[in-house]
Amino acid sequence: MALTSDTILNASQTLASARGVLAVTSLVPPLAVIALCVVAAIGTILMLPGGRPKAWRVLGGVIAAAAGLTFLALLAKIGSDAQALGQVSPYFWLFAAISVVSAIRVITHDRPVYSALYFVLTVLSSAGFFILLGAEFMAAALVIIYAGAILVTYVFVIMLASEAVQTGVADGPIGISEVDGNTRDPVQAAAIGFLLMATLIFVIFDRGQGLSLPGDLDNTLPAIAKLPVVQGNTQSLGSFLFGTQLVSLQIAGLMLTISMIGAIVIARRRILLPAGSRVEVIDELTMPMTPPTDDPHSIPVVGTDNPRAKEYPQL
Amino acid sequence: MNLLANLKIELVATGAKAGAPMISQFALMHYLAVGAVLFCIGLIGFISRRNLIVMFLCTELMFQGVAINLIAFSRYWGNLSGEAFVIFVLVIAAAEASLALGLVVLLFKQKATLDAGAWKSLQG
Repeated sequence: MALTSDTILNASQTLASARGVLAVTSLVPPLAVIALCVVAAIGTILMLPGGRPKAWRVLGGVIAAAAGLTFLALLAKIGSDAQALGQVSPYFWLFAAISVVSAIRVITHDRPVYSALYFVLTVLSSAGFFILLGAEFMAAALVIIYAGAILVTYVFVIMLASEAVQTGVADGPIGISEVDGNTRDPVQAAAIGFLLMATLIFVIFDRGQGLSLPGDLDNTLPAIAKLPVVQGNTQSLGSFLFGTQLVSLQIAGLMLTISMIGAIVIARRRILLPAGSRVEVIDELTMPMTPPTDDPHSIPVVGTDNPRAKEYPQL
Repeated sequence: MNLLANLKIELVATGAKAGAPMISQFALMHYLAVGAVLFCIGLIGFISRRNLIVMFLCTELMFQGVAINLIAFSRYWGNLSGEAFVIFVLVIAAAEASLALGLVVLLFKQKATLDAGAWKSLQG
C-alpha cells in the first residue's frame, strides 16, 4: 500500500513538475505568431474590397491561406511533439479551416448576399465544434436560430435595402455598389485586428497552461455528474436552466418580447424625408382609413374609407 | 485517497482517456484560439466595411467566437453554465438582429444608402 501511494505521489509530482516547466515556456513561439499575423494581415488587406484588380485579391487570399496553413502546421507539430498534452480530434482541424476561411470571406466578399451565405458556413462549422465538445443541443439551436432565423432576416433586409448600382466603383466588377466596393481604413482595421489576434493567441497558448485544472476549482456550480440522473446533453441542460437559471430565463424571454415590441415601434415610425430625397416613401397615415372607434381593440383599416371593410364578407 | 482522486483529475485534464466528458488543456487552447481568430476577423470587418448590414454580420461573427469560447470552457470545467450562457448570447443576438435590421431599413429609407459614413453627422 505504501508502495502504491509512493508511486502515485511520484507520478503526480512528475505531472506537476511537467506542468511547472510548461508554464514557464511558451508552447507557441511569440515571434512566429506575430510574423504570421503580420503576413495574414497583409493578405487580408489585399483581399478586402477596394477597387483592386482580381489578381491582387487572389494573391491576398494565397498569402493569408499560407499564413494560416503555417500556423496549423506549427500547432500540429507541437501536438505531435508533446503527445502527453493530449490529442485534438481531426475533425477539429476541418471545422477550424472551414470556419476561419468562411469568416475571412464574410468580411472580404463585396456582395452582401454572399457574405451572408459564407456566414451560414461559419455557423455550421461552429455547430460542428459544439458537437465535438458534446453540446448537441446548442449545435442544433445554433443551426436553427442562426442559420435558420437570423440569417433569413439578414437576407430579407439585404434584398429589401439593396442600393442602386449605377454609381459603382470605376474599375470594379459590374453590379457592386460604391459602398460594398470600398472600405474604410482597411490598413488600420487589419493592424488593430491582427495585433489583437496575435496577443490573444500568444496569451492563450502561454497562460492557458497556467489555468487551474477542473479539480482545483472549488466548484460550487452543479457539475454534470452532480445533476440528477438524466440522459444526454439536452436533458441536463434543461434541468440546469430550469433548476438554477429560472429567473435569467424569464428575463431572456422578457428581453425578446421587448425587442419585438421595439422592432414594431421602429418599423411603424413616420419618416420625415429631407427635400430632394430620391426615395418615395408612401406615408401610410395619409392614406384613406376607417374612422377610429371607441373600442380599444378596434384597429383602423388602412386603404379604405368603408367601415364595413372590417367585417367579414357575407357569403 | 484524495491523492488518487487528484491524480485521476490530472490525467483527465491532461488528455488521458478516463471516460470523463472533459477536454484537455491543450485542446481547450485550440478552441480558444479559433474563437479568438473569429472574434478578431469580425472586428476587422466591423471596422473596415462600410455597408451597415455587413457590419452587423461581422458582430454576429464576433458572437460566434465568444460562443465557441464559452462552450469550450463549459466542457473543460465539466459544468453547464457556459452552455446556458450561450443560450442567453443567442437571445441577445436575436434581439439585436431584429432591432438593428429594423433600424437599418429605417436609415436606408431616409438616405437611400447603406453607407455608415452617410451618418457621420451623428458623431457630433
